[in-house]
Amino acid sequence: MALGEPSALAGLRVLDLTDLKGHLCARLLADMGADVIKIEPPGGDGARNVGPFVDDRPHRDRSLFFWFYNLNKRTMTLDLRHPEGAALLLRLAESADVVIESFKPGEMARMGLGWEVLHALNPALDLCSIAPFGQSGPYSGYAADDSVLTALSGMLYINGFPDSAPVRPFALQAYHSASYYGAIAIMCALLARDCSGEDQGRGQWIDLSMQEATASAVEHVAAGFFGAGEIERRRGTLHWSRFFRVGRCRDGYVMHCTLGDWTSLVEWVKGDGKARNPTTDLTAPEWEDVAKRRADAERLFDVLDEWVKDYSRDELLERAQLLRLPYASVRKPEDLFADEQLLARGYFHEVEHPELGRTFRYPGAPYLFTASPWRVTRRPPLVGEHTGEILGGELGLGPDELAALAAEGVI
Amino acid sequence: MAPETAARMALAGVRILDFTWVVAGPVATRILADQGAEVIKIERGDEGTMSVLGPRRIGLQGELHRNKRSAAINMTKPRGVELARRLAATSDLVMDNFSARVMRMWGMDYASLAKIRPDIISISMSGLGHSGPRSDYVSYGPTLQALAGFTHLMADARGEPVGYGYSYADMAGGYSGALAALIALWHRKRTGHGQFVDLSQFEALASLAGPALLDIAVNGRVQEAPQWRSQEAPAAPHGIYRCRPRDGDSDRWIVIAVRSRAEWECFVRAIGNPTWAAKPKFRTLYLRMRNHAELDACVARWAATEDAEAAMALLQNAGVAAGVALNGADLASDPHLAARGFFAPVKLPDDRSTRVTGVPMRLSATPGSIRTVAPEVGEDNDYILGELLGLGRAERAELIAEGVVWG
Repeated sequence: MALGEPSALAGLRVLDLTDLKGHLCARLLADMGADVIKIEPPGGDGARNVGPFVDDRPHRDRSLFFWFYNLNKRTMTLDLRHPEGAALLLRLAESADVVIESFKPGEMARMGLGWEVLHALNPALDLCSIAPFGQSGPYSGYAADDSVLTALSGMLYINGFPDSAPVRPFALQAYHSASYYGAIAIMCALLARDCSGEDQGRGQWIDLSMQEATASAVEHVAAGFFGAGEIERRRGTLHWSRFFRVGRCRDGYVMHCTLGDWTSLVEWVKGDGKARNPTTDLTAPEWEDVAKRRADAERLFDVLDEWVKDYSRDELLERAQLLRLPYASVRKPEDLFADEQLLARGYFHEVEHPELGRTFRYPGAPYLFTASPWRVTRRPPLVGEHTGEILGGELGLGPDELAALAAEGVI
Repeated sequence: MAPETAARMALAGVRILDFTWVVAGPVATRILADQGAEVIKIERGDEGTMSVLGPRRIGLQGELHRNKRSAAINMTKPRGVELARRLAATSDLVMDNFSARVMRMWGMDYASLAKIRPDIISISMSGLGHSGPRSDYVSYGPTLQALAGFTHLMADARGEPVGYGYSYADMAGGYSGALAALIALWHRKRTGHGQFVDLSQFEALASLAGPALLDIAVNGRVQEAPQWRSQEAPAAPHGIYRCRPRDGDSDRWIVIAVRSRAEWECFVRAIGNPTWAAKPKFRTLYLRMRNHAELDACVARWAATEDAEAAMALLQNAGVAAGVALNGADLASDPHLAARGFFAPVKLPDDRSTRVTGVPMRLSATPGSIRTVAPEVGEDNDYILGELLGLGRAERAELIAEGVVWG
């Protein structure tokens, strides 16, 4: 990737005050060229204590959890609860475009960093506040981790079998959903700031509730209730639309799909002599109707389960795709690293960690911009790596002042 | 849209020509429409009003297409394509979720669009991207989830793959599509240049698998389904527990996450200092995690006699993270979401009213809004062909008669 191409968000300064709930939000902006300065408490962000770690050796500069969410950011330590720390944050905010925070509602104001203060100091600044339940309402003081948020947003209840406990989403999807909406909201605020009219140059305060962001990711649940009065229940591996279900094949599992060209699928199944069982005959014309396939999905998939039993998952996938049937194999995440599509598109990026003398392979971009590319500009930062560069170089603090701040535990 | 409303929208004045369908693309353009972008949906008019996703104005489809305009243009006719190209010339963005072939066939791929409008932004949200040996794969959200490892890692207690009961991949695609559009608009404001964004829904989803991918790349560790082990800071108890039936419904569950020692002490006090909680084997977080199966059994026995909502209030008031696994009816009556007015009332054209999922981000000056319910297919033909393209009534009637537009 040519370094000469401009980054889309070059010139934007973002202060990232979040804990692990909001780390992805600022990273999405950093990946596109924003200068993101992560503010960590002295001793380092709590996410640095979360595993897995490089070689399974716990250390604050070896957390892969921290690495994933903090690629492309600079970092400095600053105790915001210390008056000197808060004062320095305000100096940084004077020239920043965006502040992102995930403190408990009210905590920023208690530290002297509330919206009114920031807005008076720098009217163009956008503040994005990400909190589990938003800034207002009866649950705004409630505590939550990602799994509690998936519960209270409706995302959890609908995965798994009806007779057993709901199955959790893999990875922290409540945090991810909120972080994406946070980044989207920030870009909207930046574009609004740039417009002509009375709001020109005026920043905004964004109240982002993680519960609401996550509930939006399963909007069919509320939509089903408001639209048809139906409560969406767990259906095992049957997708809520009834057009997908997991089937077991010879060496693993496949994802059935009955939304492709029905004639091609039935011809294939019939050719294998598996199109019927004692109660169901897929060659009957009624199955050509997509509404029928939806209404009697379980019966239909029972026939297809018998059919795929003797196939290997890769063989089934390849043959289905040749017929343009949207089947898939149920793969392991390790398989992604050998996936020829991802490799051909350059999805993975080698990132050098000079302090360890090693280079590691990172997953890449959610999108390929042709003129202002997503790129890796720096590996995730070590604790306090840029404190001197930012406070000394950019704010002009002298060595004595830095030493005094360190002695008082501010940095 | 009333002009005074438009003035307070972040994306007022942005026009998007929207060829997306099913879910992922429409989520992206809906997010932008909620913030004031004018989204012109181009769609087929010969498929009836009832799609596999349900009726148009309510339910999921109602949510996906609210705040949008619809024109029913027949893209299999050369004159239909010509109408679409003229609309593209007046648009800031063109978005689709086809494979590369379709837009090229219509002469509406980025290279062709840039000739009719040099600063245009084109975002294609295909399943697996426009390049590479698998770019022709046909996919849907659930099949991408299977390919990306999510289905495998969301196993039930027996270790069988279960996966999502819905298409999270469509949301990953929708979020990243909306963000890509905004970033490209920002870039254009700065430089005057448009560009093409090749968004692979598969890659957008894979990038949300999180630190597990680094664990594979760096440590070579084979990933197993985490079940109820915390995927962030260590916690124990950390799990889901069945509660007392409510109104005959035994499907009531609470999630509890206890991290620090202080939280453990609050938890124990809140549930009435049971004797098991004082056992040495549960004394530290390390021991609670080691003995979590036994700990979970104790918590489960406690929860079984509790009402889920009451247990949540009890624990939260003690400072412990806990939440009921809400279903659709619970969400609709959740007191917190109600206090924040999250589910927004809307009036349907037949005067019935319903509620819809609200705008999940609140900007203080340009908050976003739900202004119009989903249009029926082709409902805005007159506005789009008449006002935007300046076609007279007779011309529009002729287009309908010739099957170029479905009227």
